[in-house]
Amino acid sequence: MSASAEIIARRAETPPLPCTRQEMMAVAAGREIRDGELAIFGVGLSMLAGYFAQACHAPNVRAMTEGGVYGSTPIGGLPWGIECNRISANAVSFTSALDALGCLVASGRCDVGLIGAAQVDKFGNVNTTGIWGRAIGNEYTPPKTRLTGAGGANDIASGAKRVVIMVSHEKKRFVEQVDYISSPGYLDGGDARERYGFVGGGPSAIVTTLGILRPHPETKEFELAGWFPFASIDEVLASTGWALKVAPDAHVLPAPSTEELAALRRVDETGMLRRQT
Amino acid sequence: MRLNKLLSLPEAARRYAADGIQYASGAGLPVGADAVAFGRELLRQGRKNLHGVFHCNTQQLNLLAAAGAVDKAECGFTGLEGFGFANGLRRAVERGTLALEDYSNLAMALRLLGGALNWPFVPATVNIGSDIARRSGFAPQGAAGKIPQITDPFSGRTLGAFSPLAPDLAAIHVTLADVEGNAIMIGTEWSRFELSRAAKKVVLIADHIVDTACMRQYPNLVRIPGIVVEAVVWWPYSAWPQASPGVHDADEAHMRLMNEWLASEEGTARYLEQFVHDYTDLDDYLALIGPELIERLDNGPTRFLLDPYRQWIKPRAEVEALLAANAKHGAQERKAA
Repeated sequence: MSASAEIIARRAETPPLPCTRQEMMAVAAGREIRDGELAIFGVGLSMLAGYFAQACHAPNVRAMTEGGVYGSTPIGGLPWGIECNRISANAVSFTSALDALGCLVASGRCDVGLIGAAQVDKFGNVNTTGIWGRAIGNEYTPPKTRLTGAGGANDIASGAKRVVIMVSHEKKRFVEQVDYISSPGYLDGGDARERYGFVGGGPSAIVTTLGILRPHPETKEFELAGWFPFASIDEVLASTGWALKVAPDAHVLPAPSTEELAALRRVDETGMLRRQT
Repeated sequence: MRLNKLLSLPEAARRYAADGIQYASGAGLPVGADAVAFGRELLRQGRKNLHGVFHCNTQQLNLLAAAGAVDKAECGFTGLEGFGFANGLRRAVERGTLALEDYSNLAMALRLLGGALNWPFVPATVNIGSDIARRSGFAPQGAAGKIPQITDPFSGRTLGAFSPLAPDLAAIHVTLADVEGNAIMIGTEWSRFELSRAAKKVVLIADHIVDTACMRQYPNLVRIPGIVVEAVVWWPYSAWPQASPGVHDADEAHMRLMNEWLASEEGTARYLEQFVHDYTDLDDYLALIGPELIERLDNGPTRFLLDPYRQWIKPRAEVEALLAANAKHGAQERKAA
């Protein structure tokens, strides 16, 4: 944290962004996708960020959904699901979960996956299963609040070369330790993933509504790598439930360019991200 | 007509479902093609204590769980995708009346494949290291038997083992079927291929009945052949309020209404009364959805996907005649026996 004063001094004063925080998050997550990559997107925000990348700087991204829907782009708004008619009207191939999540993801072929989270911890472990609000030990008891379960995110987190986690930056979501590891990040840090021989490399970024966190190369603890022009280090720290470290080279991230925003809004044609501020 | 397997929806449910069975849905997705109408029929017939095998939760499991007809369920995903949390299922899990065993989506596909191949176990390179492997809704005291560790005999490396699934009954939604049970699915097949081989009995619920000439034209697309199928049910809009690609869109308003009502006991009772027990036949069921809405949902963006097959779709009168012929034949066989 010794560097934070210096970083704050470096932070440029910028006028308010011409976009919402959700849009900024989608653009920042989309920037993590490189042209030509084999990529898998979950439903919701991940899909918007992924197809934004395709519409903007990664026209040759090879996108798929968990259901084995290939070569399609959403029409008529954000798809309700990874199989619904909004993503099934211009596909070149329909196969199966076994094919998409198995042959193309768990096998290690997939370059990058975008997943969401209800809770995430400092080692990038994701909880989408339930909120217990207490340590649950080894015995299973019903959660206070049941969530959606792992879905395909566990398979993506285990097998994709890298994973980008998208999550709204709130203290209750950024916790020291998640209640339940639905999708593995770096478990308890360091080389823990190697103990299990995971095919994939683990999360490379947590993109939030305030900025981006990246793992320390050795400890694998997530640190603040950058913040959005409307946010601040203080706001990020106050919204994180563990003592977040600030990377020495942390910096303010560029606002969406005119081209980026135009591409995002073409993909988000019903304005979902503009409503949720 | 030896190979005519057409049955009415109530008759198929009566013949193949029973209390306490391991019941699998069509391995459809929460917004996509699942035979939700089969679940409605199970409730109409008072089925209970079911063990649900749902690769993904759908509105069908949401409804069955809300109504208290399911004691146990195994799932890879338990939400409703863009429609949020599945309130009926959620309520049953939080109250502790439904034991839910969590896996990932690929794990469910692999376990069905294991069942289809009659393998003793399936190697697990996913779910390991996560709490899915460490916690069990079916064995709350200890999850050691859920995804046990095994040693790869070639590399010596430690990995996990998944148990195979072989459900007693699978009710599988398909877009097109002939009377013998050869079927074409439009849209992702999700895990319907593996499920059709893993389940002990398979009942198809089809949007359209087609002539077998259709299957002979596109044999590569027939991923479920009649030889693994017990019965074929014709019930249009069986996936409602979910979507059936090529046939109809999701009914977004009813997706929301259903999930809202299933969030409470009172709402669930109201839903059962109005949308489960109240219709008497197919016309009644279609009237629940309403002709204007059906016309709108029929004209969705995937409609063109059905075009190559339209020439083989049998008109309603012909399907009903075939159904009647089979019912008569079945009655004669039972009499002879």
